[in-house]
Amino acid sequence: MASYRVGVDIGGTFTDIVFMDADGRILVKKISSSVDNYARAISEGLLEMFRDTGLTGKSVEEVRHGTTVASNAILELKGAKTGLITTAGFRDVLEIRTLRMPRLYDIAWEKPTPLVDRYLRQVVDERMDVNGQVLRSLDKASAERAVDALLKEGVDAIAVCLINSFANPAHELALKEIVRKKAPDLPCCISFEVLPEIKEYERTSTTVINTYIMPIVATYVASLKQDLNKIGVSAQLLLMQSNGGLTTAESAERLPCHIIESGPAAGVVGAQALAEKVGIKDVVSFDMGGTTAKASLIEDGQVTRSAEYQVGSGIMIGSRLMTGNGYSLKVPAIDLAEVGAGGGSIVWIDAGGAMQVGPHSAGAKPGPLCYDQGGTEPTITDANVVLGYINPDYLCGGEVKLKSDIATRVFKKTVADPLKVELAQAAYGAHQIAASNMIRAIKAVSSERGRDPRSYALFAFGGNGPLFAAGMAAALGMKRVVLPPSPGLFSAFGLLYSDVEHHYSRTFRRLTREADLTELNGTWDRMAQEALAQLASEGFSDQRARVVRSAQMHYQGQIYELTVPVPAGPLDRKALAALDEAFGREHELTYGHRAGPEEPVEIVNIQVVGQGIPDRPRVPESIAVGRRGTTVTPKPRKAFFGAKHGWVDAPILIDRAELKGPRQGPLIIEEYDATAIVPPGATASLDRYGNVLIELG
Amino acid sequence: MREATDPFTFELFKNAMFSIADEMALTICRTTYSSVLRDNMDFSTAFADANGKLVAQGLTLPGHLGSIPTALDTVVERFGERMVPGDVFIMNDPFDGGMHLPDIFIFKPLFAEGRRLAFAATICHHTDVGGRVAGSNASDSTEIYAEGLRIAPMYMYKAGEKNDTLFSFIEKNVRVPVRVFGDLRAQLAACHIAEKQFGELVTKYGAGTVERYMQEIIDYAERLTRAAIAELPDGKVSFEDWIDDDGIDVGKPIRLFVTMEKRGDSMLVDWTGTNPQVKGAINNTLSFTKAASYCAIRSILPAGIPNNEGVFRVIKVTAPPGTVANGVLPAACAARGLTGFRMVDCAFGALAMLVPNRVFAASDGGNTGISIGGYDKKRKPFIYVDFACGTWGGRPWADGLSGNSNMFANMASQPIEVVEAEQPMRILSYELVADREGAGKFRGGFPYRREYQFLEEEGTMQVRSDRKVFRPYGLYGGLPGQPSLNLFNPGKNDEQVLTSKFTMNIKQGDVLRHELAGGGGWGDPLQRDPARVMADVRNGFVSQERARNIYGVVLDTGNWSVDEAATRRQRADIAAQRPKTPDICWEEPKGSVRAAE
Repeated sequence: MASYRVGVDIGGTFTDIVFMDADGRILVKKISSSVDNYARAISEGLLEMFRDTGLTGKSVEEVRHGTTVASNAILELKGAKTGLITTAGFRDVLEIRTLRMPRLYDIAWEKPTPLVDRYLRQVVDERMDVNGQVLRSLDKASAERAVDALLKEGVDAIAVCLINSFANPAHELALKEIVRKKAPDLPCCISFEVLPEIKEYERTSTTVINTYIMPIVATYVASLKQDLNKIGVSAQLLLMQSNGGLTTAESAERLPCHIIESGPAAGVVGAQALAEKVGIKDVVSFDMGGTTAKASLIEDGQVTRSAEYQVGSGIMIGSRLMTGNGYSLKVPAIDLAEVGAGGGSIVWIDAGGAMQVGPHSAGAKPGPLCYDQGGTEPTITDANVVLGYINPDYLCGGEVKLKSDIATRVFKKTVADPLKVELAQAAYGAHQIAASNMIRAIKAVSSERGRDPRSYALFAFGGNGPLFAAGMAAALGMKRVVLPPSPGLFSAFGLLYSDVEHHYSRTFRRLTREADLTELNGTWDRMAQEALAQLASEGFSDQRARVVRSAQMHYQGQIYELTVPVPAGPLDRKALAALDEAFGREHELTYGHRAGPEEPVEIVNIQVVGQGIPDRPRVPESIAVGRRGTTVTPKPRKAFFGAKHGWVDAPILIDRAELKGPRQGPLIIEEYDATAIVPPGATASLDRYGNVLIELG
Repeated sequence: MREATDPFTFELFKNAMFSIADEMALTICRTTYSSVLRDNMDFSTAFADANGKLVAQGLTLPGHLGSIPTALDTVVERFGERMVPGDVFIMNDPFDGGMHLPDIFIFKPLFAEGRRLAFAATICHHTDVGGRVAGSNASDSTEIYAEGLRIAPMYMYKAGEKNDTLFSFIEKNVRVPVRVFGDLRAQLAACHIAEKQFGELVTKYGAGTVERYMQEIIDYAERLTRAAIAELPDGKVSFEDWIDDDGIDVGKPIRLFVTMEKRGDSMLVDWTGTNPQVKGAINNTLSFTKAASYCAIRSILPAGIPNNEGVFRVIKVTAPPGTVANGVLPAACAARGLTGFRMVDCAFGALAMLVPNRVFAASDGGNTGISIGGYDKKRKPFIYVDFACGTWGGRPWADGLSGNSNMFANMASQPIEVVEAEQPMRILSYELVADREGAGKFRGGFPYRREYQFLEEEGTMQVRSDRKVFRPYGLYGGLPGQPSLNLFNPGKNDEQVLTSKFTMNIKQGDVLRHELAGGGGWGDPLQRDPARVMADVRNGFVSQERARNIYGVVLDTGNWSVDEAATRRQRADIAAQRPKTPDICWEEPKGSVRAAE
């Protein structure tokens, strides 16, 4: 029997499942997310898949999973009741943050609510200096008092972050031991084990986030494993991380801060892998689901990563200079701009009589009006139904029934009538406003960073991406749109295209010209060993385990660092001089200038990435998606394309394979997991990898 | 829209211009050597048209809005006809268009198709430009000649050739030339990036189109600003506030007085009535007074108006020469930041009477500047400069923020661990202080305390702070915030409360505890939701006594509930006795309240 890798991606609205065997045979499944317990939809979906195909749990060789369970807990402030222990005198590091706000002149600005209320922030008497020397020993009595106070308040988890602990974790370890003695089962994270890097706010915030989501992620992973076992799946479970690499469930339970943006990362990695295959190197990836839309830049075939980001910050308003909008998390992540717009975004009229779309979403439950699950407010999906873009009777090849009459009735009553416009005009307006909201995300990663979107291809996926892609690309002057096979489940595909990866970082602040080589090599070796041990535990050893090193460096006195790759093997003076030179070159490349050789260069953080090399190429040579759903091609239906074109008869394809040669729009490609709109004036064709290419005139 | 401009190209062009200005700012931010730039973002980058009119500003510090055209004017006036590609100009003299000496401006004219099309502009606060105190921002200098190196508008590069004379003058006159040169290099790099990207725009659109769209961006900002101003009610309002003193004539208050007149779609801001210029170094240039005025007004206008000449056309700012709002030679102005921050408060006070529901009560009074400098055992100089601010006044709809940058300077705090890694300093505490907020229906923010311990053998400490005497005002029944504090060596034998502005010698182990002033409250504290009072008590922000005596809320802290009956009684009692309460202003705001002795 064939053996499959399985990708499972959970979004706010849908859970997507993809099976892929070694020859690139693909089976897909899309079901509604089970919001009360996300894990349930996975086992239910797999069972349905087994029923449909005759496969069993034994056919599954690996489960790769991207989940929003962690980010939801933060966005909805539903994480663990967390206590925080800090050094006396520094109780409010978490709340004061960096002082900075994301917008100038905004008198209505509100800081994000601290994840730990002040009464749950306890202080202990202790102090390290910045070199790790003990200035004041940890006062046992104050430590006991702090832990007792938190336990008395009934916290679910405790975070510990002491000043300068990155240089010496002794006091944090002692506190962890005290917590362990008093409450053996209580999750407790110390900052040294989460992020042993300098800068107390970033370290505290990252440690708190990790602690805050730890119990939720642990419960989730446990229940998922149990469910998988019940249906006979005993394969290894891997989770996607924000950095685009996979990790084991065990490691994710310990460091859940790495899996927060896991779903979005998978989509971008998938876009990068597939675009590379097709020979497109410069891509804006655009992922639009039920609640949010996200854009990311792939430049010269490489995903862009940020060393640090803010959870829940949404789209970066204004510019990259402005920070402070979300919760600071200093772990590497695929660089994304996000905006609250999706199929579930609610269409409403504000006090000034203007139409607004989102940011509120009807989510999976009650969902859009046309789902007839109790929704009372019109959504973007309803607008698309009114416009004839979406099949009025069903989605997912007939598996999800729609009631377009409810959408039409409510949309007319709550949107069109109050605005005194025709129904179609109102729905088209909502569609356009949603598109312009999402264009902001694309601009944030392209034109706002000096990149001209017109020289990039728009790689669109997610359940709603193909509905909007061509229109948005036209508005931005982009010439080409790529819609991958199974666009609605593409993030799940991305999971299958990813590799296991672990990122490690430590502050090791030394001038290169003064660094003690033994100490430097020793520290780096220990980190490499840690990475190799982790990989070995996941079945990657010898040739299949790779360690890549890098250093974050700057000229002494600068605060931002540039990352410079570091060759393998022990470093000697000559190698360090070469590192100086590599840094200088990178500085010149990035900023257009460099200092003279007399200026000292400082290493700030040393980093290691451990990569597990797959035993076969991650993207197969051909991809054959098993067709699902209806085989009956609907008759052409009327779709509305604005005042210029009005209602037009649009032919419907139920399989992109029907695109034998280039075809002019209007055209609707109505597949199992997503519907693509080819507007009048655009031309669609199919490439040999199963991508629909839309060329805009 | 002007002829031959289409809205989509306009949008793309506008984004491109602002994105270049931001890219310039990022370059400075990421490559700078000084904490003032990287953390306090005390720098700005911009594009101006060929005549020096501001088109796009990569705004990082509201205090800089309006400064670039003033400085650029003098450069254009003096060198305009002679400029050629490869020229770069530099200046810092406050009496020649600058602001204070540490702010060094660098301008690069950009040419295409044989004519000057634009200027790339940068302005950075440098760590040191010489003078009698390290950091060059002492508040107790009494004439500009003590404040450091004055650079008149001059060539930094002439047709690509470096002005070596200038560089050697700088090298001999500043304490940390490596840092200053590093930051000048960052400024130059930003100008080069601008030149390159602007060149690409010109290639794409052609010089004529670029010129046209630059003017359209200015017109667009003017239209948006006019539309927004037109929405405000017409009226003429004035507000008075006081700075504690200038640090020289200690105890002698300095009056700030502003009149705002809004008619139709324009606004006039007049600082007539403000104190004559003072001996201490807190005299503003007019450009900084403008920035302070714009800051308050922009905060009540809708977001999204580009920062450029279009805004200046609508909001006119005047101040009589020879006042602290517009100093003339030889006014010392190194610490003029203080006055700027306080003018923002004053301008907000006036706006509170024009649009009561859109303005907050007074913030902490802006940033406190702390400079510690000296020489280590090897006679190597060190300079530690920190700025502290972070408390907002209560708002008509919400509490004031605690631990959030002042509106006038979107600065970040320097991480404690980084300070300790780089400087002979230890930070002993950095946390919010309870019971210091101005009470109100929506209370002011809680100020923070920062405690600095000096580790080198000896050095000089210079502090510029305010709001020790004149407390941040409350609005519409809200109480003023508690005053700021400078406490030397707390708990030691020589413990001493210091004034708000001073320079002193310090030795190893000495400690300065600085506490900001609390934000003013908005609305009657007796109308504050008792549940909010309880949350503040539970979080240790407000003591139980204060909850009872000021907010009139009686709590059962055993099971965290409000004793509603007792609260009603207590509030009735307070209301009955209220006129006797000394430091509450129950009328419309008139300005700051003097701290009770």
